[in-house]
Amino acid sequence: MRRGRVGSWLVLFLVFVYYLVPMISMTRFAFQRIPVIKLSLGNLFDKWTIAPLIETFKEPEFRSSGLLSVQLAIATAALTLVLLVPTMAVAHLRSKRMRRIIELSSTLPFVVPAIALVVGFAGAFRETLPILIRSPFGLVPLYVITALPFTHRAIENGLAALDLRTLVDASQSLGATWYRTVVFVIVPNIRASIATAAFLALTVVLGEFTIASLLLKNTLPLYLSFARGQNPQGAFAVGLVLILISTIFVASSNRLGKVVRT
Amino acid sequence: MTGKVEFSKVSKSFGAVKALVEFDLSIEEGELVTLLGPSGCGKSTALRVAAGFETPDSGDVSIGGASILAQSANKRGIGMVFQNYSLFPHLTVTQNLEFGMRVRNIAREKRSARVGELLELVRLSGLSDRYPHQISGGQQQRVALARALAVEPRVLLLDEPLSALDATVRIEVREEIRRIQRASGIATIFVTHDQEEALAISDRICVMSNGKIEQVGAPDVVYRSPSTEFVARFVGKVNDIEVEVLSSTKARLRGHKHEIEIASAGNGGGAVGMARLLIRPEDVQIVRPDSARTNVRGTVKTINFGGATTTADIEIDGTTHLVRIADSTRNMQFRVGDPVNVAFDTERALLTRGGAA
Repeated sequence: MRRGRVGSWLVLFLVFVYYLVPMISMTRFAFQRIPVIKLSLGNLFDKWTIAPLIETFKEPEFRSSGLLSVQLAIATAALTLVLLVPTMAVAHLRSKRMRRIIELSSTLPFVVPAIALVVGFAGAFRETLPILIRSPFGLVPLYVITALPFTHRAIENGLAALDLRTLVDASQSLGATWYRTVVFVIVPNIRASIATAAFLALTVVLGEFTIASLLLKNTLPLYLSFARGQNPQGAFAVGLVLILISTIFVASSNRLGKVVRT
Repeated sequence: MTGKVEFSKVSKSFGAVKALVEFDLSIEEGELVTLLGPSGCGKSTALRVAAGFETPDSGDVSIGGASILAQSANKRGIGMVFQNYSLFPHLTVTQNLEFGMRVRNIAREKRSARVGELLELVRLSGLSDRYPHQISGGQQQRVALARALAVEPRVLLLDEPLSALDATVRIEVREEIRRIQRASGIATIFVTHDQEEALAISDRICVMSNGKIEQVGAPDVVYRSPSTEFVARFVGKVNDIEVEVLSSTKARLRGHKHEIEIASAGNGGGAVGMARLLIRPEDVQIVRPDSARTNVRGTVKTINFGGATTTADIEIDGTTHLVRIADSTRNMQFRVGDPVNVAFDTERALLTRGGAA
């Protein structure tokens, strides 16, 4: 028992080191005005500054790419929820087969490489709907697909925890339309799952590089990649901020889940 | 406005399974009719067809003489209480009660007044601000009943509303449902597989099996005069005794010389030969061995004290016939091992030629 506990702590410590050492290195590189070669334990608390972050925030390219990424993230989260919640609710109510198909489809982004997705997307829409290729918002459907493995699982967990059939029947027997049932009965009861799915979609979009790069859209990850050569400290500082935001999103969704359950 | 509910030759299949077969039933205004039967007999399907959650393959359902099949579930004006707790978990008791009224755009003052009335009706006035998880199962079902009544439905459908409750609460809520149903005067269909519940709550019982109606009648009629072997077995307890019919008035217990009168035994009396006598425990009496009333002899094997009544198992002549006998506790004057005579009152018994179920 005691040996098992020691083993657990050891594993936890190794994981901690594995994740935290690079994070600390990254933080020191980004926020200490000391050349990398001179960074040591002795100067751990010296010359800390947020100047690289402020300088980056002042750059117009950063602001435009950051704004675009935020807009794409919100649009992706919104489209994901609008498409996914009613579809999955109907699948839960009507057909186990439909549920399985949705589940299988949601895992496709794991096996279809981003390059294949972009080539197919561009080939299909270049002639028929060129605005999807031209406009940066053409990325939204692709991001919805990319985030599907995470968003689907979040919504699925919420719906599976409900006695959806009874709630929907009760709502309809009280005179509610399908729209009213979704908005006033289903959504409030899976709000923790919806928040989780939205946060995960935001996180995926804020970190997505390949698709935006292939379709030549100037999103934040692309800017960071470009800026790494010009202003490496600023790029790492923004990267850390993004990691922090993602962590807050995930922690918030967990917290919301707990609040809803109590 | 409430109205008479009529099912006319309603059939519904799920793949190869026939859930309802030409189901015909009418429920008068103010009447509570129970659909009683084992799982899978089609009783919930009938209810869901009436509610609009299932579409029948054929037949019609009408309320007040007008067909409702073309209307969607949310337009039928039917109140429903479900087997599973169906209160909306994110809403308080008051908000749950208001849900249907909000859908109908009823003014806030009217809503508040109605909520007050309903809470009083179900005796839960102090719980208006609680969430469903903060009240008991019995209270949740009473709120669900009040919520169904809040929209002043034309018909009330109760789909096994007591099955998730424990025994004591079940009786309490059952009585509450009956009181409220009588007060509201709404035609009500109650679904259950619990025959005791059906006997206690109903104006009429519709016993169902394999999607078909076996018998419809007042609880005492269904219990006392079952029209089919299924009803006799499903509603209440029954003794199944193999007999050899000797004439239109006499039969003999199989393998014994003891004869019993069967003059009044229903169905199948007449023809001689082997048959089975289905007889209620209370229609079998044990009497002292010296009684001249009967010459069927037996021995008391077990006595089962059941509170208000006591039952006993009687082995007849040490052979195969075991008979369960109901007797009032006060009058039970026999002990295990006592020799007794057994008298059969076959007036309400059923004589059947079918195989044992």
